[in-house]
Amino acid sequence: MTGDTHYDLEILAELAEGLLDAGTATRVREHLAVCDPCGERLADLAAVREVLAATPVPAMPVGVAKRIEQALAAERSGVGVLVEDAPPVVEEPVRLGVVADDGTIVPAAPSRRRRRTARRWAMPAAAVAAAAAVIGTVTVTNLAATGTGSSLLAGPSSEGPQASPSMNAALAYSLTQSDYNYSAATLRQPLSDFLAPATIINDPGDVSKCATEVRTRTKRAPFAVDRAMYNGNEALIMVSWRNQAAKQVYIDVVDPFFCKPIRKATTGSW
Amino acid sequence: MNSPPETPSSAASDAALLTAHINGDPHAFSEIVRRHRDRMWAVALRTLGDPDEAADAVQDAFVSAYRKAGSFRGEAAVTTWLHRIVVNACLDRMRRKSVRPVADDELIEAAERDSPLPDQTVEREVSMEVSAALKLLPPDQRAALVLVDMMGYSVEDAAQVLDVPSGTVKSRCARGRAKLAPILSHLRNRSDLSSVSSAKGAELRDG
Repeated sequence: MTGDTHYDLEILAELAEGLLDAGTATRVREHLAVCDPCGERLADLAAVREVLAATPVPAMPVGVAKRIEQALAAERSGVGVLVEDAPPVVEEPVRLGVVADDGTIVPAAPSRRRRRTARRWAMPAAAVAAAAAVIGTVTVTNLAATGTGSSLLAGPSSEGPQASPSMNAALAYSLTQSDYNYSAATLRQPLSDFLAPATIINDPGDVSKCATEVRTRTKRAPFAVDRAMYNGNEALIMVSWRNQAAKQVYIDVVDPFFCKPIRKATTGSW
Repeated sequence: MNSPPETPSSAASDAALLTAHINGDPHAFSEIVRRHRDRMWAVALRTLGDPDEAADAVQDAFVSAYRKAGSFRGEAAVTTWLHRIVVNACLDRMRRKSVRPVADDELIEAAERDSPLPDQTVEREVSMEVSAALKLLPPDQRAALVLVDMMGYSVEDAAQVLDVPSGTVKSRCARGRAKLAPILSHLRNRSDLSSVSSAKGAELRDG
């Protein structure tokens, strides 16, 4: 039967949650049947649930909702980064956090995006030129120095005579690795801002195949490819001319492993 | 490749809205926020016990969700995914402040110290007492109790949000309730709660 020992709250709480093994549960129940103090404690435990459930749940205050709308609007227009540098438009700086794949939040400051931006812009143009690599048949000099980007492409445009899918060798593009995390919002901004200052790299082997695939699939010949991220996923950003004079481009975003589109192709500016 | 619906209707599912957002619809994410912000706010406020911290956490979480939408796998509901981001934002904040577990007598002292001013309404008074008591729990237990006991989610749903087995949620709830019982027991005698809780107590006692 039951001894003189009482059961503590934790055991009783575990009983209530069905966490005790059958033998222990039976012993505790037998004790409860004859022990008023333990019965009281069990009732206290049940009361905790009731009190918590009865505590009113307030709606989000208007001020907080507005603040979040502003932060998301800044994110949408791509100026989320700038808010911290500019005089405050909201009462405090927009704090940025990043969710890792497991759902955890990586601490905000300094945000990866801001750090990368700063580092990219800090890179002297000469360094970019020095790092420039040429892929394909066209000699590319310094992306950053052109400003307009129009001198970049001496070779094939999408309408050019060499632009036939069978002519892989004619595919000429600058390959950069910005690791920048693009979003739909950033793709609407002039892309030369992102690609031109990025580090130019040699093809690790998988990009040219994918660029050819994209070209075969879309009939568009990328002139710039950036190894980066899109909404947190590794991505190749492939940019091809839509209208070079007007600096209008098509943007294909594909994954670097299977070369499948991550999002619909879109149009943008260079 | 599966192509998602191009234009979500006004009654679009959360998943359709998220897909629209990923595909560049500038309004889709705002709609998701409007739908869920009150619940996210409640979770953050109850978990953190501080409106300023909660506002920061929810903002961080929504901005992160906005950016990370592409990583949503569609295995869980969008709401579960959002909850997870919000809860993790809260836990992250609590851990950075290194909240330590406290002993029972400290709990009671603190609850008395934090007890509300007498000129407040009963509802607000209870609410503040509960907030103060919750703050004394370790983050994991607090998060579990907020989801299960306060927000009324099933243990299974809470387990998904917290990304732990159901048994872990149950045991965190049990330990949390055991710590809160001495502090909140006096609220049991309020007329609006006592009848329910004693019935519940009897039910539990009799298995």
